[in-house]
Amino acid sequence: MSNIHVVTDSGSDLPLKLREELGIHVVPLTVQFGDDIYRDGVDIQVEEFYERLQSGTILPSTCQPSPADFEALYQQIAEPGDTIISVHLSSRLSGTYQSAVLASTMVDDSINIITIDSKSASMGIGLAAVAAAEAARAGHTVEDCVQAAQYAIDHLNVYFVVDTLEYLKRNGRIGQASALVGTLLNIKPILTLNDGVVAPFEKIRGKSKAIRRIHELARALEDQYPGQSFRAALTHAARPNEAQVFAEILKDELPIAGDIAVSYIGPTIGVHVGPGTLALLLYPAA
Amino acid sequence: MEVITGVILRNMLLAAADNLNRQRDKVNALNVFPVPDGDTGTNMSLTLNAAVKEIEKADPNDIGQLTALLARGSLMGARGNSGVILSQFFRGFSQGLSGVKDMATGEDLARALTMSSETTYRAVMKPVEGTMLTVGRAAALAAEESAAEGAHAQTVLEKALEGAAKALADTPNILPVLKEAGVVDAGGQGLLCIFEGFVSGLTCEPLSFAVISEPQLSQVTDEDGEGIKQIEGVLVNKYCTEFLILADNIDADLVRRKLSSKGDSMLVVGDADVVKVHIHTDHPGKVLEFCGSLGNLTDIKIDNMQLQNEEYSSEREHSEGHGTNVINLAKTAADSVPKSLGVVAVVPGQGLAEIFESLGVDFVVPGGQTMNPSTEDLVKAVNRVNAESVIILPNNKNVIFSAQQVRELVDKTVGVVPTRSVPQGIAALMYLMPDESLDENVSLMEENMKEVKTGEVTYAVRATVAGDLQIEEKDIIGLAEGKIAVVGSSVCDVTKRLIDHMMDEESSVISIYYGADQDFSEAEQLRELTQNDYPDCEVELYEGGQPLYYYIVSVE
Repeated sequence: MSNIHVVTDSGSDLPLKLREELGIHVVPLTVQFGDDIYRDGVDIQVEEFYERLQSGTILPSTCQPSPADFEALYQQIAEPGDTIISVHLSSRLSGTYQSAVLASTMVDDSINIITIDSKSASMGIGLAAVAAAEAARAGHTVEDCVQAAQYAIDHLNVYFVVDTLEYLKRNGRIGQASALVGTLLNIKPILTLNDGVVAPFEKIRGKSKAIRRIHELARALEDQYPGQSFRAALTHAARPNEAQVFAEILKDELPIAGDIAVSYIGPTIGVHVGPGTLALLLYPAA
Repeated sequence: MEVITGVILRNMLLAAADNLNRQRDKVNALNVFPVPDGDTGTNMSLTLNAAVKEIEKADPNDIGQLTALLARGSLMGARGNSGVILSQFFRGFSQGLSGVKDMATGEDLARALTMSSETTYRAVMKPVEGTMLTVGRAAALAAEESAAEGAHAQTVLEKALEGAAKALADTPNILPVLKEAGVVDAGGQGLLCIFEGFVSGLTCEPLSFAVISEPQLSQVTDEDGEGIKQIEGVLVNKYCTEFLILADNIDADLVRRKLSSKGDSMLVVGDADVVKVHIHTDHPGKVLEFCGSLGNLTDIKIDNMQLQNEEYSSEREHSEGHGTNVINLAKTAADSVPKSLGVVAVVPGQGLAEIFESLGVDFVVPGGQTMNPSTEDLVKAVNRVNAESVIILPNNKNVIFSAQQVRELVDKTVGVVPTRSVPQGIAALMYLMPDESLDENVSLMEENMKEVKTGEVTYAVRATVAGDLQIEEKDIIGLAEGKIAVVGSSVCDVTKRLIDHMMDEESSVISIYYGADQDFSEAEQLRELTQNDYPDCEVELYEGGQPLYYYIVSVE
């Protein structure tokens, strides 16, 4: 019987435990501090990354994996007749998806490669990859696995709050939230992803108020999807305690299917959002 | 004096303006709150001065036209709640005298005063007695009574003055806040000054405009006890339609009922043979059609008020204006990109103005606590925003009413979010969504502007008692949501106690805006002390630059 493999990239912030459990493959993007180039999660780990991000004067940048990186992985994991579902960072935020699409044309036709633009980032990608991998593990057809990932993408709600808009701004990922730059007040905007691009959701004064508001928004989802449980993930840029508290409260607020995946925002996304960012990603379980 | 000629009427108005200018400080002192910015007298006198200026060149043989100019001038010059009500008073007055040519009888004057009073009552949604509304009505009733006895014009006016004086003296018995503060109603006092002027101006020799003593601009605004709870939405109907119906046995009630749905500012007056109809409507044709079925129509006059007002504003832009309130143009409309939605905000202080601009405000009209901008100032600002729809943030309870008047004076769609303080204005701006509709924005802003609590720290201009608090002149007072909550002698101490008073379990952000007279180091010290007291909160300090108020604080 042919196998279904799930591939994603380091922008997914999938915790190691989930990756191993579900056998999801992760292609690293690279992070560059000047001349120093690191593969995310391979040559540099999160703690070291945030230390360097905050102490250094060099503005890091990220680079998408090359098509060859994808091709090599695809060849390595799949036998002829297998299917690869490759879910990636929003094509409007990164060229990663483009590399994957190119790679898929470079691989022999005997391997069926389905590339999916998550139109999301962080565990927004991760949740879609998990959905596909879980479906595959349960023995579902390729179509059903793709369907599961697509469902997660279509129903995903993303709310995140950054400590400062600086990182989004200087990396050019600020999208429609650019209107918020230059305000003289300390505003903690709640941001979201709108068709794969960063967009302001609401302007809020103060981070704790913003977090309270995200809880409110999560609770409102229950009214929108009555009786359903939710798949949820919480990612944070080096704020494990805040994230843990957030997750505990969320469990009491919403019916959650399984565990809330709490993970670090890795270097790939961290470069763009900066330390202190907290993101809630969730969708109603099918 | 049996009748009032145009010259006499002009003299009356000049004398009224002069008297109000002279007594301005006396009226100012009557504000219920002992804060340094409560200036009903200044607002009313500036409004009346603007109105009187318009009649300088009026033809004294056409009283109807003269009072129409007066009404328009007062509408554009209206400042503060009392100024807006005064403009409505003159609007009614002019409607009462419309069509009158070279002389007005006692009966004409009584009718004009009655219409003045009716118009002021209609202007506020929930009229409160014990205010200038009551004083105006008492004057009208006394005038009507006297006119019904066949009295001469002079007697009618003297009776009106008497009635107004009596009603004013009675205002503390009607409104407990006045009694507590030991004052009569300030707006009522201002109106009495006008009636006093009317009577003293009853001379046949034309007075020179120079009789009006120069108004001296002192610190102004934030009136209280104006009795305005909520303000009625202002007319959108732009055709001012007026005519007479001539017939036997006209049922005026029927006319009123039929027309009331066709527009607003409706007046149907007269007797069984002649009925005068005045209505602001978008469908003058339908109004005429219906009334034409009842009898002969005559003296038909239809004016497009919007166009009139625009012409008027552009004329005024070329003249020197009244020069007291310069609009701070962040950018000129010419070089800004046209957009669908713009925002005008009334903000005191340079620091706050910059903050508002950084939050997306197109034009800042300086003022609020130091000086209520006139309706005209707001009209200009709205016209200069390169957008079809404009939101106005008054940021002061005494500017809300004037802001609402703007809607009928400009060609743009205007929405007023009734923000009563600077922090409410900032909270509202958090919900500015430039791509959404005006209505959507206004309702979001209105819903969320109350997320913040507002604190203000200033000094008492006179001794008073507020609840349990004994306040001496020059004491430092802290107001929470506009009510005196804390009294003391040190600005820092009062501000800290005010913040304590405002905090609750939900509070997470404290913003402190320091005023023009505070220096940064003191303000920073206050911020540190506050941060120590509330380690879990974000305490932020900004330069507000507002006059009179040492600190404006918001807690959310």
